[in-house]
Amino acid sequence: MIAIEHLSKRFKTAAGKDHLALSDINLELQSGEFVSIIGPSGCGKSTLLYMIGGFVPASDGKILIDGRPVTGPGPDRGPVFQEFALFAWKTVLQNIAYGLRLQGKSKPEAEERARVLLRMVGLERFANFYPKELSGGMKQRVAIARTLAYNPEILLMDEPFGALDAHTRTHLQRDLLRIWEEHRKTVLFVTHSVEEAVYLSDRVIVMAAGPGRIARIIPIELERPRQRSELMFDRRYQEYITEIEGMIDAFEAAAA
Amino acid sequence: MSRHLPSICAGLVLLLMWQLAHLSFGLSGLPGPMAAFAALPELISDADALYDIGQSLQRMAAGYLLAAAFGISFGLLMGTSPLAERLLNPLIMMIYPIPKAALMPILMIWLGIGDMSKILVIFLGSSLPIIYHSWQGGRSVSQIVVWSAAAMGMNRAQRLFRIVLPAALPEIFIGLRTGLILALITMVVSEIVARSNGIGNLLFNSMDMALYDRMFAAIIIIAAMGYALDLIFEAIRRRFLRWSDQQDQIQVAVG
Ligand SMILES: Nc1ncnc2c1ncn2[C@@H]1O[C@H](COP(=O)(O)OP(=O)(O)OP(=O)(O)O)[C@@H](O)[C@H]1O
Ligand SMILES: [Mg+2]
Repeated sequence: MIAIEHLSKRFKTAAGKDHLALSDINLELQSGEFVSIIGPSGCGKSTLLYMIGGFVPASDGKILIDGRPVTGPGPDRGPVFQEFALFAWKTVLQNIAYGLRLQGKSKPEAEERARVLLRMVGLERFANFYPKELSGGMKQRVAIARTLAYNPEILLMDEPFGALDAHTRTHLQRDLLRIWEEHRKTVLFVTHSVEEAVYLSDRVIVMAAGPGRIARIIPIELERPRQRSELMFDRRYQEYITEIEGMIDAFEAAAA
Repeated sequence: MSRHLPSICAGLVLLLMWQLAHLSFGLSGLPGPMAAFAALPELISDADALYDIGQSLQRMAAGYLLAAAFGISFGLLMGTSPLAERLLNPLIMMIYPIPKAALMPILMIWLGIGDMSKILVIFLGSSLPIIYHSWQGGRSVSQIVVWSAAAMGMNRAQRLFRIVLPAALPEIFIGLRTGLILALITMVVSEIVARSNGIGNLLFNSMDMALYDRMFAAIIIIAAMGYALDLIFEAIRRRFLRWSDQQDQIQVAVG
């Protein structure tokens, strides 16, 4: 379980001024929950994720994971970034096996598990390719497999499908849901697409900017497993989307 | 074959210009390419000359390898620690414009004209581009790549050697290549200034004795050494950077 209490983040700007990027964030995530964050650019979505990941320190408040405060990065929280962030000098298989090697697994053992994951993301034929030889969608599959490999309880995904074309995006969304149904990790998923958020999530967090804060939390009560093709004709699905889009527009109008 | 055609043409043009200069000036100090090449076999079968070349290469290797080890560590330190960057950047900028060979007289006073002063000047002459490019390479390593490694459980030292170093390697190799040619240049100059042995000494001895064919043959050897070293270097670089986008891009970085 993730508990976030009165969390805020201040940045020093180059001019020496304080910039309040996030203000008084309070949030609880249950284990195995899929939660999306949506909100205008610059409202602090990435910053929030980076703080939970332990990459960036908080200015105030605290983040507890199963009761323990976050003090730095750790293999219990696996990040997936929009820009993939693969190790370019390692092959696909080595990228995925890396985390396992660090956990002290032997090379054959790590590679065997890496191959299982590679099959799960449908790239077994590309084990010995270097990242530069893959398409964007393939790179993101490798990045997801690399993170899943060391078996974090929490996935922190920052617009993971943002850089991909619509077709690849739909595919990866479906794959992610399938993997999530199977392993039930806690997922915190940042996106700019309302549709994507509603399709994937148990709850959607709508953030507002200036300063960055949580504006609304909407539970998505659609049955699982979800089929995109069926949802398309589901009134409730469409209503969630319309409702959330309306909210975002209203917050933006209020901010302007 | 067609890949080598431009280089072959360039070589021929160079020889032609040399021949023309030889014919039109008619100086004894400017023998033609034929004479120079004719002096080559004698020079490279001469045990003393081979010893000189060996000494030169040894000192150059020592100075260059020191510069590589030191320059990469120093540069990556600057590239990953803002504090180190702030402290060391002014120092680098100050040392940058000094021609390192101009320090040779001082080094000779301190260390004599033996190997030490020469190795040190080669080290000084070749380390700056290595520091600079390692620094830039280290700085430009993507933060999220380093974070991805941190999340896997890598500590700071592991991230430096296993993430930052390989990620910066394409840029580091640019510095190493420039450094290699600078090491060659400083090596020859150091032997001209502090004459004890080496190919630079051989060159000037030939001049002193008015053996101009031999002098030009020595220059040909130096040029061939530079060319061969660069070829070997490129082969190594390509091997190390198979994974990189920059792999095929041959960059001629001067200075
Ligand atoms: N390293 C930093 N130094 C100073 N300010 C920063 C830094 N990182 C982020 N900020 C500021 O914090 C705020 C939130 O940034 P963040 O990247 O978290 O937004 P975001 O919601 O992820 O935006 P986007 O949707 O565009 O990715 C922005 O106003 C940004 O200017
Ligand atoms: Mg962001």
